[in-house]
Amino acid sequence: MVKRLSGLQREVLHLYRTSIRIAYSKPVDNRPRFFSFIHEEFGKYKDLSRKDFTTIEHLLRVGKKKVEMYSKPELKNIH
Amino acid sequence: MIMMNRIAKTSVLGNILKRGLATASATPRLKTFKIYRWNPDKPAEKPRLQSYEVDLNDCGPMVLDALLKIKNEQDATLTLRRSCREGICGSCAMNIGGRNTLACLCKIDQDNSKQLKIYPLPHMYIVKDLVPDLTGFYQQYKSIQPYLQRSKYPDDGKEVLQSIADRKKLDGLYECILCACCSTSCPSYWWNQEQYLGPAVLLQAYRWLVDSRDEAFSVRKSMLQNSMSLYRCHTIMNCTRTCPKGLNPGKAIAEIKKTLASN
Amino acid sequence: MLRSIFRTVTPVVSTFRTASSSLAGRRICTRFVTPVRLYSSESVDKNEITTRVIDVIKAFDKTAASKEVSPQTAFHKDLGLDSLDTVELLVAIEEEFDIEIPDKVADELKSVGETVEYIASNPEAH
Repeated sequence: MVKRLSGLQREVLHLYRTSIRIAYSKPVDNRPRFFSFIHEEFGKYKDLSRKDFTTIEHLLRVGKKKVEMYSKPELKNIH
Repeated sequence: MIMMNRIAKTSVLGNILKRGLATASATPRLKTFKIYRWNPDKPAEKPRLQSYEVDLNDCGPMVLDALLKIKNEQDATLTLRRSCREGICGSCAMNIGGRNTLACLCKIDQDNSKQLKIYPLPHMYIVKDLVPDLTGFYQQYKSIQPYLQRSKYPDDGKEVLQSIADRKKLDGLYECILCACCSTSCPSYWWNQEQYLGPAVLLQAYRWLVDSRDEAFSVRKSMLQNSMSLYRCHTIMNCTRTCPKGLNPGKAIAEIKKTLASN
Repeated sequence: MLRSIFRTVTPVVSTFRTASSSLAGRRICTRFVTPVRLYSSESVDKNEITTRVIDVIKAFDKTAASKEVSPQTAFHKDLGLDSLDTVELLVAIEEEFDIEIPDKVADELKSVGETVEYIASNPEAH
């Protein structure tokens, strides 16, 4: 049986889900760019200890702000 | 006019030169500044205090002068907000020696045997070093609709007039520069930042409540009529103690409470 | 009438109840009580859902295309996807069926079969 997720882990998954959904809201041709951007951003902190709560909470906060910004429909592509 | 300006400038420059020469020979008076550092690019690294030594003989009188001297001469990565350097913009609000105040209005204690600790405004999320994230604070300010609301304006397109007595009611309120020193000194605000508006925003709420030209009185009142927005104030009065402009947010909140209670 | 609806619904709900917390279970219940939506869900056939889900998985660039995918296939154990990959795959499946899987449900979907089951139970899927 897979271990139950902590609240913080759920929040990270939620942020990731929201980000991926936003990528799908962008024009088809530009989606790969958004996907690789998301992979890169989350990948940076793959080795972060799950016990490092303050850092994860900070990153979640920053992530939420970025999601808010990138979700704007006027934003169609990134480089 | 231009001429006079030039004369004024040269004489100021002359003074600086003279002072510079006079102090160059004196023995340096090194004072230690311990400054909160945190870098968002390395979020896994914990915040720390970094020490800097500044020669008070070669530094302006205010804490902001010392901070800028450090940033210019010792460590360009030190990050802080500043703008007017004369206490009217509210950018350089920070916690200096345990008190929230503006770095530009806070004199450096000339006793160089004592070190001075400088932190960002307490209980706020930090953007970097001494820069707090004030997004929530500004949103709260926006939520009280801080602008004149009335149905009719004078036909001549000029200002809406008010009596001298009515104008007097705004004294002690309009001077607030929204530096957030008071709100971030308030324990109630620390614990309930999401819902409690905090002293700075409530002072502004009161400023619009008592404005004789404003017609949204009852709407403004009903916005505050709940358990969180206003009534989390327990008259701790840290706000009034810390205000770098010498205002009294605690009193303004008490006045709002009276207004809400009276009808 | 109402009872018959509940009877058809209970098995699905109970599978999710075991997996997710009671709050999510309750939310699912309220969704199923709307009769009109329930009947419209019959339109998408389970076999068709399975094929489409498997197609999405095969197209997903983090899964080895050679791997055999069946309703029993588990995302983590069999496909080697981590939690983030699973989230991404599920969003791709959401896109395919034009639905949005609520967080509480999505966090508990571990295999192809469970996912198909959920989509079949979702009246908005098409």
